[in-house]
Amino acid sequence: MPASTAASLLEGRAPDAVAKARGMAPDDLIAAIERSGLRGRGGAGYPLSAKLAAVRAAAVTRAADPLVVANAYDADPDSPLSRTLIVKNIANVLQGVTIAAHAVGAREAIVYLHPEADIERHAMEQDIAARREALGDLEVSVASGPGGFMGGEESALMNVLESRRAMARQRPPYPATNGVQNRPTLVSSAETLAWLPQIVSTGARADTKLVSVTGAVRSPGVYEVTLGTTLGAILDRAGGVAGQLKAIHVGGPTGGILAASRADTKLGFDDLVAAGTHMGSAQIRAIPQTACIVAEAERLFAYLAKETCAICVPCRVGTARVRGILQSVTSDIGRESDLAWLGELGDHMANFSLCGFGITAPSILRTTMRDFADEYNAHIVQHRCPTGTCVPVRSRRYETMAQP
Amino acid sequence: MSLLERYTQPAEQQIPTVSHVGEIPSGQPTCTITIDGHEVPAIPGEAILRAAQRAGFNIPTLCDDEKLAPAAACRMCLVNIEGYDRPMPSCHLAVEPGMKITAISDDLFKMRRQNLEYILSDHNAYCMPPCQVGCPTHIDIPGYLELMAKGQHVEAARLVKEVLPFPYALGLVCPRPCQEVCRRGLVEEEIAICQCHGYTGEMVMEMDKAPTPFPQADATGKRVAVIGAGPAGLTAAYYTALKGHAVTVFDMMPKQGGMLRYGIPEYRLPKVKLDKELNSVWQLRDTEFKGGMKLGRDFSIDDLFTQGYDAVFVGIGAWSSNEMRVPGEDLPGVIEAINYLNQNARGDPVPVGKGTRVVVVGGGFTTFDCARSSRRLGAEVTVVYRRSRKEMGAHYSEVDDAEHEGIRLEFFAAPVKVIEKDGRVGGVEFQRMALGEPDASGRRRPVPIEGSNFTIECDVLIPAIGQVPVLDWVDKDALIKKTRRETIVTNAALMTDRPGVFSGGDVQMGTRTVIECVAQGKLAAKAIDRYLSGDDMAVVAEEITEEEKVPELIDIVPYKPEEPQVRMPFLPFEERVRSFELIELGFDKAGAEKEAARCLQCVCPDVGRCHLQRLSLEHGLTENRFHRAEPIDYHDYEYDFSHDFILRDLNKCINCTQCVRICRDVIGANCYGLMGGGYDSIVTTPWNVSLQYTDCVSCGACAETCPTGALMMRERDLQTYELDIVRCIYCGDCVEVCPHGALGETPNFELSVYQRFGHTVLAKEELAAARTWKPSEHIPIGADETHRSPVRPPEVRPPAPPRWGA
Repeated sequence: MPASTAASLLEGRAPDAVAKARGMAPDDLIAAIERSGLRGRGGAGYPLSAKLAAVRAAAVTRAADPLVVANAYDADPDSPLSRTLIVKNIANVLQGVTIAAHAVGAREAIVYLHPEADIERHAMEQDIAARREALGDLEVSVASGPGGFMGGEESALMNVLESRRAMARQRPPYPATNGVQNRPTLVSSAETLAWLPQIVSTGARADTKLVSVTGAVRSPGVYEVTLGTTLGAILDRAGGVAGQLKAIHVGGPTGGILAASRADTKLGFDDLVAAGTHMGSAQIRAIPQTACIVAEAERLFAYLAKETCAICVPCRVGTARVRGILQSVTSDIGRESDLAWLGELGDHMANFSLCGFGITAPSILRTTMRDFADEYNAHIVQHRCPTGTCVPVRSRRYETMAQP
Repeated sequence: MSLLERYTQPAEQQIPTVSHVGEIPSGQPTCTITIDGHEVPAIPGEAILRAAQRAGFNIPTLCDDEKLAPAAACRMCLVNIEGYDRPMPSCHLAVEPGMKITAISDDLFKMRRQNLEYILSDHNAYCMPPCQVGCPTHIDIPGYLELMAKGQHVEAARLVKEVLPFPYALGLVCPRPCQEVCRRGLVEEEIAICQCHGYTGEMVMEMDKAPTPFPQADATGKRVAVIGAGPAGLTAAYYTALKGHAVTVFDMMPKQGGMLRYGIPEYRLPKVKLDKELNSVWQLRDTEFKGGMKLGRDFSIDDLFTQGYDAVFVGIGAWSSNEMRVPGEDLPGVIEAINYLNQNARGDPVPVGKGTRVVVVGGGFTTFDCARSSRRLGAEVTVVYRRSRKEMGAHYSEVDDAEHEGIRLEFFAAPVKVIEKDGRVGGVEFQRMALGEPDASGRRRPVPIEGSNFTIECDVLIPAIGQVPVLDWVDKDALIKKTRRETIVTNAALMTDRPGVFSGGDVQMGTRTVIECVAQGKLAAKAIDRYLSGDDMAVVAEEITEEEKVPELIDIVPYKPEEPQVRMPFLPFEERVRSFELIELGFDKAGAEKEAARCLQCVCPDVGRCHLQRLSLEHGLTENRFHRAEPIDYHDYEYDFSHDFILRDLNKCINCTQCVRICRDVIGANCYGLMGGGYDSIVTTPWNVSLQYTDCVSCGACAETCPTGALMMRERDLQTYELDIVRCIYCGDCVEVCPHGALGETPNFELSVYQRFGHTVLAKEELAAARTWKPSEHIPIGADETHRSPVRPPEVRPPAPPRWGA
């Protein structure tokens, strides 16, 4: 269990929080949240208090009507954190939304869900109806996204709420100033907001995080762990690795793949970035010895090329081209120059992409090429799969053609 | 105010849009930003790109339009801004006072180029046809192949003859620079381009009067003398005559054709057919051939001017063979190559027959003409060349054919001396060579290997190591200059220093291919015509240089299904020994049409206007690393040519979303959107239906804003239109396209509705001179001042369908 017994996302209760928060001045409330050290659970880890302050400031200076969006979309299908939260502790979610709305002065809030989350949507609607009176003049509604990975991206989400295709928007301007329908908008994950009741009620520190442990572990599922726990310890909580651990894939589809020797990396926003990956969807996947890492990277990029929102060139074409190169490596028609080429394309994607999707995707290339260079070499130099699992799927690779 | 805000504000609150060619309106508060170290005034809140463009900075962009909200989709306009950890799109980011911006740096350049490489790798389309660029005459190859595929062979011949008057002859003898670069050849076999125009040439040859590309102009009364009836001279004569000038062609030989007749052997080009084709020149009015007249012997250039010729074209070719400069070269049995071919062509006896051992030295076209002619006379032939097969000047197909016909090839050997036996040639001593450093021509220079000498015994030695023009007459003419390589000096308009004297072909370039001579003949005819009409020849020279500049191509290799080349029937190798019969038997009609239909028509009508092309050239994108992979890596969309005015080719779309935004935000029809998912996303109509079935109002704004050729306006045919005023959106397109000026625009650029529906039609000039009408004013129309327009002035758009005649 987490060190602070009072603060637990899945088990903590704070029935008095909304009343207490409404008794506080918004600035005091934001200061209290700042003291808790709460960082956005959506993956990037931006301090919530700063976001709240920005939305509030924009609402005041522009005399605009702010909006709160609780992102419970769970873009990564293998990491159903928000859904778990709604099923296990729905009270905290709606209370959190109410407190955030009070902090920014919003009278409207939206809980944004995945279209397949029927049970959660139903539960949420019932909960809103049940607490109708407690909400006061706050209008909370439930909205369903379009499905797919990009539906959960904060700016694509704004487009969805404006009845447009789920495509990322260039930031700045940030949603805090120019959000849905140009209103100052607080877009925050449901998990982040669910911390607010306990923070307001007991002044708890936000030091646990929901993670989804998947892959070759004995008991995969969603777990609540204290920030700072090592990845190895998290895998042990999920019943330990079945077989021999080769690598740990952290952060969902755009996250990097770390070698098993990095199992002592601590779960934390900054620690993970230092290790070459990021918190992302907080999925921690154990990859067994039997898997070829190049093929893993290829599958990830195939998924990304399918899910990209296609607004910007580096992400739309880049993911498909990187996938093609990785596929020629797994098909044993790779060349030594491909490694430098992948590095170059990765740098370009990280620098020139529009949103976090393309910016973080190259972490897959960087970590695998750093930790598993020998697997790439086995494919490229010896023309064999290190695990014997790759089947050649293409006979033609990208060729350079000079001018006709 | 941020940029996004700006576009969602009501119109009256928006910042005035300042065109990048315009200036900041007076009274507009400005701030200063720094771009690449220069301080630039800017309006706070406008896009950085706008300020940069106004200040003259060239930041590349493919998805930006001043009228539209920014998309930041193409990622070309990214710049580094102090305080941001990654490059930011300048089309999207609003100006803040004191910004420090780096718009041009090596890193950004590389990243933008990578971006363009990505875009081009998914741009399943063509740019310029490389064949047309590769051919010295710049013949419209996709054009005539399309006509041929449709079975319109006479039209095809006309199109060919616009630049190439002798398609049959060239179809047989041309080394085919066009086919080497054919885009079909990048994935499979190239198109048989030359043989196709050969077929049209052969077909129209049988007509009573050969078709001309355009009708011969009326007689101008000017007279032009052409010296030399070879490919350059006859081409010049043909086009000069078509321009209406009287032409006399002089030649030292009794018959026409020059090297085509006296150099190229019968088996490559039958003389009967050659005559038929060349006779198309004499079918023109005021053309005359004078054979047996040699420049310098029978007449001089001064004589021609004295006789009343207004201009002279010298295209006498290169008829003197180079010497090997080795001892024993003057022995009997050493034959001059050109002379030997001459004798063969005329049917004169030659000292080569069955069993003669012949050695031919050299690696060019003449070498193989001599070798293969000798082989046909029954000789045992050896061709000796000092470099490798790769460096040979002759076309590789000719080298291969020679080998198949039983000619021995000896590489890396240079003659050192001719060995005498019984007072004549008995053999040649050669020295082995190795390839050294490349020389000026790019071919590696052969270096002799000491002590490697060997001898080849032979009865006849034919040195064929190049020819030079005979320029003994030049010395008598002080104004015409020659180079050290014995060629005539001209400017780009092919005029010598003596006004009115032009020169082209081998005599001007040194020995080259037939097609290059034809190209020069065509240019010379153009220059002569300009000279005769009194134009400044310096200007003409400049124009020609500009026109002939090799345009840069962009490397795009689209994915297309493969289809093998239609093989032309050839004379079997065994029948070629001892037979001068033509070896290329020619296409039949069906074969020619089938082959012509293989042409990819790889030409984009948007060339020159395409921003993707321009940026790719600016970024030096000469190669693309994403070619030739699996079909699944590329997109191959269907065309939508069903709309009356707008042609859509999704293969060229780069997803910049400009059409989406302009159709939604400016026009209001909202016909386009990004459809599909992930990498397969594409801008198209909902459910990818024909544009015809959308709310399209045919305004053409999408085609106008499209940075590539994905959306283009169709060429229009005139017909009677029925006007539905309810649907008219005053786009003004009808004004643009009206060939009779029946529709006009008012000075305030709205379509003049009163003109269309009033009783009088104002002339365009009147409209241009008209003042701007205020909305409250009545517009007087026509001479009759009493007649008042029933329509309000055009500044005001009708809020509802107007009631006509009310």
